[in-house]
Amino acid sequence: MARDKIYLEEVFPSPFMQLWSGFRKTPVAMLGFYCFMFLVVLAIFSPIIVPYNPIDGNLDMILLPPSWHEDGDVSYLLGTDELGRDMLSRLMYGTSLTFGLSFVVVIVSLVIGVVIGSLSALTKGIKSSFLNHCLDVILSIPSLLLAIIIVAILGPGISNTVLAVAIVFIPQFIHITRYAVKEEFRKDYVLASRLDGASNFRILYYSIFPNIVERLMSQATLVQSAAILDIATLGFLGLGAQIPLPEWGAILANGLERFYIAPWTVYLPGLAILFAVVATNLVGEGIRHALKLRKES
Amino acid sequence: MLTFTLRRLSLFIFTLLVLTLLSFSLGFLFPGDTVINHSGQINTTAAELAHLNKVYHMDENIFSQYGAYLSHIFNGNFGQSMASQSPISHEIITLLPATIELSLVALLIAMSVGIPLGFIAAINHNKASDNVILSLAMLGYSIPVFWLGLLAILFFSIGLGWLPSAGQISLLFEIEFVTGIQFIDILLSDSPYKWQAFRDASTHIILPACVIAVAPATIFIRLSRTAMIEVLAASYIRAARAKGLSFSQIIFRHAIRNALIKIIRHVGLQFANLVTIAMVTEVIFSWPGIGRWLIESIYHRDYTAIQSGLLVLSCFIISMHLFIHFIYAALNPLARGNKYGS
Repeated sequence: MARDKIYLEEVFPSPFMQLWSGFRKTPVAMLGFYCFMFLVVLAIFSPIIVPYNPIDGNLDMILLPPSWHEDGDVSYLLGTDELGRDMLSRLMYGTSLTFGLSFVVVIVSLVIGVVIGSLSALTKGIKSSFLNHCLDVILSIPSLLLAIIIVAILGPGISNTVLAVAIVFIPQFIHITRYAVKEEFRKDYVLASRLDGASNFRILYYSIFPNIVERLMSQATLVQSAAILDIATLGFLGLGAQIPLPEWGAILANGLERFYIAPWTVYLPGLAILFAVVATNLVGEGIRHALKLRKES
Repeated sequence: MLTFTLRRLSLFIFTLLVLTLLSFSLGFLFPGDTVINHSGQINTTAAELAHLNKVYHMDENIFSQYGAYLSHIFNGNFGQSMASQSPISHEIITLLPATIELSLVALLIAMSVGIPLGFIAAINHNKASDNVILSLAMLGYSIPVFWLGLLAILFFSIGLGWLPSAGQISLLFEIEFVTGIQFIDILLSDSPYKWQAFRDASTHIILPACVIAVAPATIFIRLSRTAMIEVLAASYIRAARAKGLSFSQIIFRHAIRNALIKIIRHVGLQFANLVTIAMVTEVIFSWPGIGRWLIESIYHRDYTAIQSGLLVLSCFIISMHLFIHFIYAALNPLARGNKYGS
């Protein structure tokens, strides 16, 4: 059979594919990635696959310990809480609240932050310096305090929490985008396309964004892990998700009064948060490791 | 150094002005009447309201309103707490020192644990101990602080009974309020039970301070590890090795000093993070600090308290930031010449 390709075709993988091939080589990062995907699937399908309704209680089965305990019941795998609600269903449903909403937070603050950050990278002089100082002020306010204040303005509730946390993380994205775009603008390939007569926006869109997308992703994983923690913290403080919603932080706060008689209502949601944050951080660590490998090679 | 100081101070004043602008605008953003949000007086008669409107220049333009608000702040008048109807400046003076004390102790613990561990990890770069320390750091960074606090109470206070779980000091001791920082007050007091009180106060602070310190310590591990790896790769270390200095001489005389400078630069930025964690921890350990007071103000919808709490807490963080930056500049002459003070 005649070979169609006589010459060896040289293929340059895109920066994104290079990152992925580096990422695949570290087993720990892949483990984190599988856990992350597991959480994503759970967050999407949890309303369909939960064994019980997470909000309706079964009053015959109050404070049932997890099934490995001798008083446990295998049909309630992780036990029940004080209203007889199945912990497993609540935790699964909570995945789509705590973990799923952290995605919303990241996407909203990423889009707004990148747009403002790249626009501000194009400005110079007083405007730029003023923006920088204002950003410094906002970055020096504790993120949770800022979120608390936004919640105080808007009133408690899960949607307001998401909005507040998203607003809080915008400055971080502005900062990193601005820094990355400025750094890229100094490089020669940008000068080359500028000599071809490309406008600033064209350079930004076709030349710079493909090159900084991994750095933004690495920042996004950092923000996501912080967002999970912040949503859970606000839920724990009673400022986020309101009573029947099975948000992980809120479940934990709910179990607080029966800490001694039913410790599983406290340690299970805590473990869930820890699992989600560790998985996100492992993915982020893997991305940063792959980036470093690519830079060194 | 003088120009550096002046530049930093002007930036500091600018930052404070932006903060007051932020807290001023909160008065408009919060639900309710602006003048009541600023002053915190909820049960006012019509005459008092008219007086307040006049004091806060509410009938004039917005710049004059801001000026009036600013002059109130500079006179130390933050208005009244809507919940307790007592002056906020008084509440802040009694509560802020407790937070300062807790966060400084936590910062000290975080630095004294995190930095040496990071150095050890960097010296054993890519070996087993490096990986163990890094994975511990990852775990510590990921633990939700409220959960960690609860587990610590369950384990150390209830399970083992070693440490008290709540408060700043046992109610048995009566310590006169001087500075508000408990340890200094105890040392200043002339109570015969001074040292018992001192011991009691230290057992109270250990648990919350350690819980707060976990996450910043992990960040210090990463920072010091990166700094040390960078320093060890520098050519002056190779030169020292070529001179025949022993390993411990290289590490203690050359590497640690240079690595520490790089770390100190980041301490200021970590401080904001630490105070955030401290706010939640104060709630769990019933620590009588400003973080717990702020979170309770939200439950009470005490907008005046939130507004001034934000201002005071951020001022504290920014002053710490400035202070650490000065230390950094004093240690490292290269940092003074920066055109743009970042």
